[in-house]
Amino acid sequence: MQSALLNRSCGAAFKATRPNACSRSVVVVRATAEAVVEKKERRLSPLERGGTLSGDQAAGKDAGEKARAMATGTTGAATLLQIVDGRFVDDRWIGGRWDLNQFKDSKGEVDWDKVIDAEVARRKLLEESPIPSINEDPVNFDTSEIPWWAWVRRFHLPEAEKLNGRAAMMGYVLALFVDSLTGAGLLEQQESFLGKVALHICVFAILLVRTSSDLDKYKGLIDEATFYDKQWNATWDGVKRPSEAESQ
Amino acid sequence: MAASFANTQVSGKVANRQVAQGRVAPFRATGVRKTAGTQIPSFYFAGVSVHQRVIAVSGARSVSRAVQTVFAVKDGAVLEGRKLRVAVIGGGPSGACAAETLAKGGVETFLIERKLDNCKPCGGAIPLCMVEEFDLPLEIIDRKVTKMKMISPSNREVDVGKTLSETEWIGMCRREVFDDYLRKRAEKLGASVLNGLFMRSEQQGTDGPFTIHYTSFADGSKMGTPATLEVDMIIGADGANSRIAKEIDAGEYDYAIAFQERIRIPEDKMKYYENLAEMYVGDDVSPDFYGWVFPKYDHVAVGTGTVVNKTAIKQYQQATRDRSKVKTEGGKIIRVEAHPIPEHPRPRRCKGRVALVGDAAGYVTKCSGEGIYFAAKSGRMCAEAIVEGSANGTKMAGEDAIRVYLDKWDRKYWATYKVLDILQKVFYRSNPAREAFVELCEDSYVQKMTFDSYLYKTVVPGNPLDDVKLLVRTVSSLIRSNALRSANSKSVNVSFGSKANEERVATA
Repeated sequence: MQSALLNRSCGAAFKATRPNACSRSVVVVRATAEAVVEKKERRLSPLERGGTLSGDQAAGKDAGEKARAMATGTTGAATLLQIVDGRFVDDRWIGGRWDLNQFKDSKGEVDWDKVIDAEVARRKLLEESPIPSINEDPVNFDTSEIPWWAWVRRFHLPEAEKLNGRAAMMGYVLALFVDSLTGAGLLEQQESFLGKVALHICVFAILLVRTSSDLDKYKGLIDEATFYDKQWNATWDGVKRPSEAESQ
Repeated sequence: MAASFANTQVSGKVANRQVAQGRVAPFRATGVRKTAGTQIPSFYFAGVSVHQRVIAVSGARSVSRAVQTVFAVKDGAVLEGRKLRVAVIGGGPSGACAAETLAKGGVETFLIERKLDNCKPCGGAIPLCMVEEFDLPLEIIDRKVTKMKMISPSNREVDVGKTLSETEWIGMCRREVFDDYLRKRAEKLGASVLNGLFMRSEQQGTDGPFTIHYTSFADGSKMGTPATLEVDMIIGADGANSRIAKEIDAGEYDYAIAFQERIRIPEDKMKYYENLAEMYVGDDVSPDFYGWVFPKYDHVAVGTGTVVNKTAIKQYQQATRDRSKVKTEGGKIIRVEAHPIPEHPRPRRCKGRVALVGDAAGYVTKCSGEGIYFAAKSGRMCAEAIVEGSANGTKMAGEDAIRVYLDKWDRKYWATYKVLDILQKVFYRSNPAREAFVELCEDSYVQKMTFDSYLYKTVVPGNPLDDVKLLVRTVSSLIRSNALRSANSKSVNVSFGSKANEERVATA
């Protein structure tokens, strides 16, 4: 059918006619072929063509909240992390907890990093300007609502990367050292019991003692753990307890 | 003749009989003066030769200058014709309970209290076990608190008390009523209550009696009249600023300053506090303690305390008032008071025949600052040890008996004190730690353990599996809270070791 159309259009696509009462040679070429055109929408404006993304796909490529609000003229001025009249006010803080729906990203999943950021900011704000506790405004948000992997991804992984790096470097240096002393290569070191022990000590030491101030911290902790005991036993300095004297 | 000479010089029938029966440990006079030509009488007491210092002898005429004879009685010796005399200095819970137990045990007891209507600044909370153990009538309890709210720095509120049964509560009482009841009870059982202020005491030798000098207000005058009292043993129950402790060089202790304002609030606001007490934690309220709102009989007490930064106590009080501002709106301050709270026992809790009990000894728990129950219980235990060591007042008792009480006390309550110490060290360190604390208190296992150990004063080991789960929850809560602390937070970290107060506070 299409070929028939083509033939017809080819055959009679253009018709040259001489308008009446016209002597000069003016040829009006008129396209008379009837091209079958599907009913189309009104054509897209220049703003919408040429690689423009729209809707979800454009999300995240907008300007910030404030700029967008100004451009669209909406004063839905988002109140964020403010203390108004002695109460904590935020658009996303509803009923004493963070409304997780408002933290959803383009895919519809809650962006836990943003939730963590919001809670950090809230706590800092309340630390700096404490507000009275109001019965009508209870705080119901529990940090265990944020899943464990969000915490790990946000806080542990960067630290873990550093620590792994340190452990690897220390381990390599120690292995070289042991090799130079005993002539045992890396694999041989692993097979001996002492080698395994040394490896474990190295790794755990890196975990526990991250900086030199950590050593002071541990000394302080030991002091704290034993100080109270010492204070209680002060009255028994040089004197045996009756219960101990009996058992002897 | 020599024997009769000794008899005339010694005053007091008792000493006579003691000397005659040769059961008195003789007082060795230092420096016996040998007057030429005079025979120095020497007597044999219990087979030991002794020289008595004699200044002059002239026939039958007695000597006017003093012959030093001392009625020293060794520990364990039977007291002839009299009961053991014990003075209890201070008539609060510890003193009154000590006096009561002593009097019941047959010891002659003197209870010296400087202010019989004293209204000691105090939270006034007594645990349930105290009512039973000390037979307290329910009339002296103003309120039964069954709900305790803990409020974190970010205003997260947790209602602790969900696990309490109907018969479990924390009693709130007025100290003046409470102390008075206990004193009257001691008096009824035979203790003599003396209204006086202890000034100083002297002991006549290491085994001799004590002479207590005090200002007696018995005549009702403001100035009082000096008086003395002779006793064999002293129990120091005179509180945090104990004079007895100073007398025996018991040593210093760290103490918190507790500051409290009593506020009368409108009826509707008072309804909220009917059986509810609040605990505010946070840097603003106290760096190492907590702020509280405790209901009294017709008003509330709003207060806070601190160890490391006592000079800023008014700021902390203001912060506490601010945090409870809305709930205590329209209130009128009717009284402002402050008092020290010991943080740990004194280095020396006894010396010779002097013992310390209660706040004077420093028996206040950490974390909660609870002292009334332990004061009363220590007074009772000390008295029991003395009664036993003196065989119901018939023999002399001394340091050995007191050390029996100290040992029993340490063994019985060490676990309780240590657990509360650990709680304070872990959860009062910083704002994140306090947030974690409040978060953990939401759990009913925690609430049950806390209240069981508070109300019944026993560290009850729970189900091991639940304990492990609790440990995991604690660690994860602490990790989360610390992670949520802003990098440029200005809150402080407090440590609880042996460093000086200034060094214990550090910004994060």
